[in-house]
Amino acid sequence: MTAVALRDPAARSRCWGVLTALVVLWPLFQAAEVKPGAIFDAANLKVIGHFLGGFLPPERSPEFLALLARATLETLAIATAGLALAFVLAVPLAYAASAAGRERPSLSPFSRGLLVLLRGIPELVWALLFVRIFGLGPTAGVLALGLTYGGMLGKVYGEILESLPAAPLRALRLAGASRPLALLYGALPLAAKELGSYTVYRWECAIRASVVMGFVGAGGLGQLMDQAMKMLNGGEAASILATFAVLALVADALSAWLRRSLDRPPAARAWALGGRSLGLLLALPLAIAASFRLLEIELSGLLTVEAAQSVGQFAADFLHPDLDPEWLRRVARGAGETLAISVVGTLLAAVAGLLLALPQAHRMPAVLARSRPGRWRGRLPLLLPSILPNLLRSVPELVWATLTALAVGLGPFAGALALALHTAGVLGRLYAEALANTPPSAAQALRLAGAGGPLPFLYGTLPEALPQLVAYTLYRWEMNIRMAAVLGFVGAGGLGQLLYVELSLFHHAQASTVIVAMLLLSLAVDLGSARLRRWLG
Amino acid sequence: MSFLSLRRTALKGAWSCAWSSPLSRAFSCVLSTTLATGLSLSAASASAADILRVSAIPDEAPTELQRKFAPLGKYLEAETGMKVQFTPVSDYASVVESLATRKLDLAWLGGFTYVQAKLRTQGTAIPIVQREEDARFTSKFITADPAIKSLGDLKGKTFAFGAPSSTSGSLMPRFFLQQAGLNPEKDFRNVAFSGAHDATVAFVAAGKADAGVLNASVWDKLVEAKKVDPDKVRVFATTPTYFDYNWTVRGDLDPALVKKLTEAFLKLDPKNPEHAEIMALQRAGKFIPTRKENYDGIEKAAHAAGLLK
Repeated sequence: MTAVALRDPAARSRCWGVLTALVVLWPLFQAAEVKPGAIFDAANLKVIGHFLGGFLPPERSPEFLALLARATLETLAIATAGLALAFVLAVPLAYAASAAGRERPSLSPFSRGLLVLLRGIPELVWALLFVRIFGLGPTAGVLALGLTYGGMLGKVYGEILESLPAAPLRALRLAGASRPLALLYGALPLAAKELGSYTVYRWECAIRASVVMGFVGAGGLGQLMDQAMKMLNGGEAASILATFAVLALVADALSAWLRRSLDRPPAARAWALGGRSLGLLLALPLAIAASFRLLEIELSGLLTVEAAQSVGQFAADFLHPDLDPEWLRRVARGAGETLAISVVGTLLAAVAGLLLALPQAHRMPAVLARSRPGRWRGRLPLLLPSILPNLLRSVPELVWATLTALAVGLGPFAGALALALHTAGVLGRLYAEALANTPPSAAQALRLAGAGGPLPFLYGTLPEALPQLVAYTLYRWEMNIRMAAVLGFVGAGGLGQLLYVELSLFHHAQASTVIVAMLLLSLAVDLGSARLRRWLG
Repeated sequence: MSFLSLRRTALKGAWSCAWSSPLSRAFSCVLSTTLATGLSLSAASASAADILRVSAIPDEAPTELQRKFAPLGKYLEAETGMKVQFTPVSDYASVVESLATRKLDLAWLGGFTYVQAKLRTQGTAIPIVQREEDARFTSKFITADPAIKSLGDLKGKTFAFGAPSSTSGSLMPRFFLQQAGLNPEKDFRNVAFSGAHDATVAFVAAGKADAGVLNASVWDKLVEAKKVDPDKVRVFATTPTYFDYNWTVRGDLDPALVKKLTEAFLKLDPKNPEHAEIMALQRAGKFIPTRKENYDGIEKAAHAAGLLK
């Protein structure tokens, strides 16, 4: 009896799992040129030290600050307008694609395919297409964000609805409610918190995505950042990074405030809307209108004959991908590199994210419990562990890539590290939330039964939170495969560099092959991730 | 609709009169003239035909381009009587595309971007002038690695070009590397595109790339301005000469305006104190007329290097 109790029942399967993973992942680590030694190479340390040394003092000249202020506003406006567009796109698509509230799960291939297409093509490629129609300016950036994020929001909205307990929906449907009504009353109230929090989180991401837009002249902080990082101008980079971090923290605080508001019990009054909800209802359209106005977006430009012609021309060029075997080999090699960058980056991030999440997860309930106003001083030390993940993810991957390229030299490893640093911040936060939301009963039961040390966590909390953690990780991997493609623009190799060069040269046939490869790769990753999730869950 | 956006619509209408089909022209002209007349009563401002839209390939930091262009812009305003509007961009291809879609009137292009613009406008884009030194331009190969002494030593190293469609930072160096028997994709460990000439120097100085190549004129400027330490980063090879940069107008610009612009450039004289600043910023001794045929060599090199298909 004691012998059985002392043996870890899961040890064997876990060991095999780790071994299999290592065998599968080894070639990918090879392809990503992982060489941890390079991080500690003396020459590299000197270079990066010199660049980071240039961060102090941050650039504060009045002209630069004026430029920075204008760019910050533009970034906010691009993100807000883009997300508004994405929301408008995502709601009907999520409704059509989600299996929630259906009699039997339908695959709805059309809306699901559209969602994959929208998400599969990186916003940068969309931006390049729209630059052809609107000319230079933020319009291209807003539309590109709108489409890509529309795809992402649509998918996640659909999945959130599917993950809800099915009973209320089924009860409503059986009582005769139509699907929209059943979703409205049986799913939305349960999912509102998660949907709202995810939308605000996407808005933060949209701010970071404007960095990518900077590449095609869509303005905003991204364009400034691109210049400063390319010129290795530490002072300017520091000022811009500080602005980014503040933006991310503000957005984070806003999202936390919104979620707390959603958690409150309904107020005792006849009318559903209180001051806060009313203020939000007013502020939201105002912010969206102000954004469109600041960016001087003329959507009518989309509807001209000339625009239609140039879209047609562009699309026609792209319908003939170059299938020359020599070129296909190069694209395949690029795709392999991109895949390796995304896998290695996500894995490193998952490990680092878990380490970041553990100290937060313990304190999270305490933080939430003390979330009454006027208690900031008491909460500050509790919030400290969440500052590192926030800093990590407030720095966009492209900026991390510039730093890691200095640290380990140009190449795929720099890309993987950049992905890992940013994603660790994201996962650190998501993991912490998931762990904090895990019912404590299992771990408590183990502790009461005498299990000590890490055991209650490993056998009580972790197994319960694992499906959620794995889902988050796999979802980030799906995003990282797209980001890995774009990282090529700053010298991390892979498909991104091929696309950047071919598009610069107007080689649309070759660029088309690369985009098809990107799509296939992201599709394969989506499928693989779904299968893994099912297998592990 | 605000006053500003109304005016913009009106101006756009007036401008599109010149290009749209006869049928829609009649309609949109009537509409926009009504709007424009109404508005010009309240604001004595320029109409669309009076704005010259200019841009340049971002071969240096956009802020630097704007600084360089400011006095030239004022001079062109005085010479043509038009308002000159300079739009900085961060992507080479978008300048070519904007010229082809008539969103720009005048652009500072590199030799290769001119060839791209020519091909995308069915040969209608017209190069008007170039600097005297653009007729015999060179690129400099630079490194901070003492072990690199010739092009042959680049094998197995990380190498930085400028933008992929840069003439002096990508096409011609690649062409000459090829003639020296080197294939960047096969022989270099990693190929990076810094995006701009000054960024290439930053890449090499920081050790991000072992070696790089850039435009000779920008290199000289950076050395003169002490933005680079010549003891640390040195030139180890220089290309033979070729034709590079020019000022190009879109093919359907009013010929009288093209003539005025060409003459304005040719009149610039560094000995004239009023012109001295413009010429110094443009790093030009003199502007000379140029023609399409000057760039046939670049087109051939682009085909040979695989940059044109």
